[in-house]
Parts: sequence; structure tokens; C-alpha cells
Amino acid sequence: MDWNQIIQNTIRACVGVDAIYFAVAALGLNIQFGYTGLVNFGQAAFMACGSYGLGMTAQYFGIGLWWGIPIGILFVIILALIVGVPTLRLRADYLAIVTIATAEIVRLFVRSVKLRNIFGGTEGISNFSREYRELNPFEPGKTYGFAPFQFSGYTLITVLVGWTLVAIFSFLVWQLMRSPWGRVIKGIREDEDAVRSLGKNVYAYKMQSLVIGGIIGMFAGMILALDRGSVQPDNYSRDVTFYILTALVLGGLAKVAGSVVGAMLFWVIFVFSDNVLRELTRNGPLRFGDFTVIQSTQVGAVNYMFVGLGLMLLMTYRPQGLFGNRTEMALDGR
Amino acid sequence: MLIQGRQSISHFWLKVFLTLLCSCVAGIGFVSGSAKAAEDGEFSIIASVQNQTLVSGSTSRAPLEGVAIKVTKVDGTLIGEAITGADGLGKVPVPSRDDYVIEIDISTLPDGLVLIDATKQKVFINQDLFTTNNKRVTFFTGQGAEAGASTIERILQRLSDGIRLGLIIAMCAVGLSLVFGTTGLTNFAHGEMVTFGGMIAFFLNVTLEIPILISGPVVIVLGGLFGLAFNWAIFARLNKRGIGLISQLVVTVGLSIMLRNIYLFKFGGRTKQLSSYSKQVNLELGPIGITPRDLTTAILGIIILVSIALFLQRSRLGKAIRAVSDNVQLASATGIDTRKVIKIVWFAGGALAATGGIFRGLDEQVSFSMGSDLIFLMFAAITLGGLGSAFGALIGGIFIGIFVEMSSLYFPSELKAAPALFILIVVLIVRPQGILGKSQRVG
Repeated sequence: MDWNQIIQNTIRACVGVDAIYFAVAALGLNIQFGYTGLVNFGQAAFMACGSYGLGMTAQYFGIGLWWGIPIGILFVIILALIVGVPTLRLRADYLAIVTIATAEIVRLFVRSVKLRNIFGGTEGISNFSREYRELNPFEPGKTYGFAPFQFSGYTLITVLVGWTLVAIFSFLVWQLMRSPWGRVIKGIREDEDAVRSLGKNVYAYKMQSLVIGGIIGMFAGMILALDRGSVQPDNYSRDVTFYILTALVLGGLAKVAGSVVGAMLFWVIFVFSDNVLRELTRNGPLRFGDFTVIQSTQVGAVNYMFVGLGLMLLMTYRPQGLFGNRTEMALDGR
Repeated sequence: MLIQGRQSISHFWLKVFLTLLCSCVAGIGFVSGSAKAAEDGEFSIIASVQNQTLVSGSTSRAPLEGVAIKVTKVDGTLIGEAITGADGLGKVPVPSRDDYVIEIDISTLPDGLVLIDATKQKVFINQDLFTTNNKRVTFFTGQGAEAGASTIERILQRLSDGIRLGLIIAMCAVGLSLVFGTTGLTNFAHGEMVTFGGMIAFFLNVTLEIPILISGPVVIVLGGLFGLAFNWAIFARLNKRGIGLISQLVVTVGLSIMLRNIYLFKFGGRTKQLSSYSKQVNLELGPIGITPRDLTTAILGIIILVSIALFLQRSRLGKAIRAVSDNVQLASATGIDTRKVIKIVWFAGGALAATGGIFRGLDEQVSFSMGSDLIFLMFAAITLGGLGSAFGALIGGIFIGIFVEMSSLYFPSELKAAPALFILIVVLIVRPQGILGKSQRVG
């Protein structure tokens, strides 16, 4: 087993693109779920708004890449209205049901054959990121940095842009939550009726929280799309939301650092487990006597099994995660 | 109290483990480990697209030109694409003897032609199927079956399909709704209880070769125990620890991810067929084509749902369940043992979900995600019927099933689920308590 490689991969994972887009998406989800108490299970759809906003500039509109941002924001607002208008007045679990369903429908729509000329069907959209690539000061083929933090020039630009965005959004969320707006938002999470009796329009605040969190999530989708150079519908399946949620809970809800560290830690654990299992099964299935423990095609399933188990155990034994405050996590919809 | 809590934690671990083990053990038989070393030589996949036409009673076949074929690995990585030539063949070289998925792009078929077997749009090639270096896969197309049928016939056919889907949704959703009513829990892992039924049915029916008529009841009982295990190992304990309902909801999400991946681990990513009644010819009942198997499951489904309704309406226990579902405190004050009722509800919910899983497995096929694909329709059904209401779930399920199938007359079938979301949203705006829900504040 090549431990050196495994450890390098693991350390690289905590600053890699996967950790970045998870951190950004988790920052958005934190506003909704951590601070406002909105159970948004459709963050993947908000991410898809961003990446399809970018992709459609080339695929459908034929305009510059940077138009993708306003288009994405427009998509986010439409999506937030679709899920928010019917559910934000109701109990928390309705929002959970509607967001998860909407996210799934969004994915089915963008991958459908009928709408292929708009969204590119199951293959998705590629060839939209030329303008972004031209801005890259690094040589795509060359390797930069020192072990274990080595990235090709192609990836390095996204890593730098990504961490800049993480820093900006972290600062923004931190400031936002210290502002009067943030205090109202947290008040809604604690006691909606009390906030309402103070004359605040709870419904409007919730909607704002949904949109702001969604816009941050949108940027996560854009980072993913720019790094991959393509937009794939199946990158936005409902499980992606749940993995981001796991990362968020791992770091600690309602804490800015929680979103970022949670995302890094999630990928460190994930990449480590993935690498070790792949090494174990590389030369055929792992066996104890006649009993096949695991074979290489099953590695993915085992990793995600651990994610699910981890989410359950975290919610049960340490709902505040690493940085959170237990009293802030006493979420109860009734 | 504190000491008791500590003890239950260590027990909890043990029991989580045991529950996992139980759910795994049943599936161990699925694993078939065969990894053949790649052999030398050039491999390729040849797709052949043939159009069938019925000429004076006999079928004639002609090659179709210009159809796009795509070969991917099982995980979705693209291997190659080809367009069929005048001989109807498209050749895609592949790097090695391996598992592949061959997909035909139906949007490139000439107008009016469809795949004869719509489920064959993607064909899975196991590496063992490479008997020579070239593997040939044939796709048959024909005039759309529905293109020739009149509108009324198409509507009736869809109605019959919709009723069957609706019965399955209703069956699965009753448990979901009752659990919600009695405990307040929105259980996102309910779909996995459906899959559990399908998986165990597959194990007994295909691996152990027990006919479904005998193995079915076993599956149903195991499904009930599985539901009971959910409550016993997880949710009863979470309640005891005073963990809020939203946190519990997140736990069900984790549970759902974990179970789905256990199924994937044991069963693999393919859809597989139950062996009993897999090959049947359509009975033509007037304009509707239905296999005897589907007719039987539909009738059984109706019988089951009617008995549930009668049970809830007439029996003492059924009344107790409805009382707890209505108002836990009040029911408890009138002397109903609410914890016992909750256990019964979990058992019944699990058993019904497993039944739904068997029916779905017979109707379509068994796959690791068969339940989680349905969960969203179940939620639409119970929201429509009224969260917590068992009758609501029955009515809502059947309505959603029919509506979804009917809508595919006008909607592409890949977007089947979209109309259900539309219903969900309209219901939540117009009448958030659902058809049969109590008109109370739910906000």
C-alpha cells in the first residue's frame, strides 16, 4: 500500500476544488439551515442554477461568459420563489419535501432529451469556459506548488479564485449575521412568533435568507463548472445536497468557520477512505477466506455508506459539530 | 436518568450494528465476485439498429441509418460514440473486456419510430458477454405502439397503468403518513423500506428460487420487522434523548443514504428481474393490454387497501391508531398505550412498504434505488391527502399515480415526476392541510 501517495492525496483534498465548492455551498446552506432554520434540501438545484447559467451563455444565448452571473441570479430568484412561496408560511418539513422534490425535477428537466438544445441533455454543456481559461496566468500543462500541495496550472487558477470567494463569502456571512438583519434571522430560528409579534415580516425575511443562501450556493455551482470545464446534470443530484449538509453539520451549524472547516474535513475523510479502499481492492477483491469483503466496484458505495452513517451519528451525538453551540442546534419544527 | 442514558448509548451502538448486520446478512447472497483479467486483442461493441415492420402478418426487418449510439462505462465515463451506417451498424472500439452501458439516442430515430422495448434504451453489457472480441447489441424499433391506437384507447391504457402505480404509491404511503401522524417524523428513509421489500423478494425468489407466492408473505413480515427495527434502534431512542423533530428528519436523511448504499454495495447498480411471472403475454381486455401478473397485483392491491381502510375504520386497534395520529396527548389521556400504537404503526408501515416493494419489483424491476425513486411521489400523495391521515394517503396515492401516468400522454415520460410536484405546490398554496387534513394552522 502506497501510504505516501495516500497521505499526499488526503492533504491535498483539504485545499482542493471539491473542498472549495463544498465550503461555498455550505456557507449558503448555513444561512438557510443554520441561521434561519429553513430545511433546504435542494441546495444542489441552486448550484445547478449557477453552472447552467454559465453553460447556457454559450449553449443557448451565445453571449459572453460573465452574463452567466446575472442569469444565474435570476434562476436562483425564480427557484426560491417556486419553493418558498408555497412553503415558507408552513411547518419546516414542508419546505424540506418541496425543496428536495424541486431539486430532483430541476435535474430531470436539464437532462431531458426534449430540452437538449437548451441544457445539453445528459451530456451536459462543455466549451463555455474559454474566456475564463484565457484569464489564466498559469500554464495549464505545468505543475505548480510543492508536495503535497501540487496543482496543474489548469486547476490552480480555480483553487485561487475559489479560496478568494470562500474568504469573501465567509466575511460577508459573518458581517451579515452581526447585522440587525442577522439578528432577526436568528430570532426567526429560535421563535418565529416572537419575531412576528415585534412587527417583523417573517415571511419576507425567510425569503431573503433563501435567496441569499441560494446565490452563494450558485457560486459553488459555478466554481464546479469552471473547474470541470463542463456542466453535468448528474453533478446536481439530491445526494450532493446531503453530502454538503453532512459537511456543514460536521463543522458546526450557525458558525462561519464551521462551513469551511467542515467542508475541508469532509473531503479529507472521504479522500482518505476512498484511497485506502481503492488500494486494498486494486489487486482483486479483498477476501477473508472465502468471504469477499469488498471489491473495487463497491468502493464508492462503502464511502457513501459511511457518509450516511456519519450524518446520523453526528445529529445524534454531536449536533453542534466541531465549532457549533449546542443550544443553537436545538432545532425543532413544532 | 443520567446513568440510564449512558447505558442506552452503549446499547444503542450495539443495536445499530445488529440492525445493520441483519439488513446485510439477508443480502450477502447477491455478491458474486468475478474479476477476469483483461485479455489481449481489440475489443469493440457493435450496435445494430433494426426497424421492424409488420407486412401482411409477418415481421420484416430493415437496418436504420443515422442513429446515434453511445458507449459509456458503468460509472458514466464516455468511451465512444458512433452513428449507424447504411447497414444499421455502429461500431465503437472499447479498451478492454469490461462492463459497459450502450445507449441509443432516441431523439435521432426517424419521426414516428420508437424503441419497441422502451426500457432497452440503455443496455448493460457484462464483461462475461464478450464471447468474441466483438459484442453485438441489437436495438429494435417500430411504429410507436400508441401511434396507431386511438386517443380513447391511449387514455384507457394510461388510466390502467396509472391505477396500478397509484395502488403501489398508496400502499407505500400509508405507513409514511401514519408514522408522521403518530410521531411527527417526516421519514425520508421510507423509500428504503420499499427497496428492502424488493431486495429481500429478489433474494428469496431469484437466489433461493422460492416462488413469490410463498416468499411474498415472508418478505412482508421481514419488512414489518425492519420497520420495527427503525423505531427500536433509532427513533424511539432519539425521542428518549429529546432530539428535535427537525434533527430527526436529518437523521432519516442519513439513514436513507446509508441504506441505499448498502443496497448498492450488495446488489450492484443494475436493475434485475424477479424470476416468478417475468415473461407474460398481454391479455387484451378491450382496448387495454395488461399481463395476468399485473392484473393480479392490481386486484391484490385493491384488496389490501380496502382491508386497511376497513381495519382503520372498524377495528378497535385501527381506531386507536387514528386517535393517536389525531392527537397524541388526548389519546394517551383516554388510556391508549401510545408507545404500543407507535410500534404497531412502524410494523404496519414497514410491512406495507415491503408489499409495495414486491409489487413494484414484479411490475418493473428490482434496483437499489427503486424506493427512493418513489419517495417523492409518496410525499406528493400524503401532502395531497393530508399529512398524517391514512385515508388521505390512500386517496392521494391513487390520484397521484393516475395523474402522473395520464400526464405522460402530453409530457415526455422522463419528466413524469414534474406534474406531481405541480400538484404538491398547488395543494400547499390552496389547501396546505390536504384533502382530508384537519383545517388547522400548519404554519
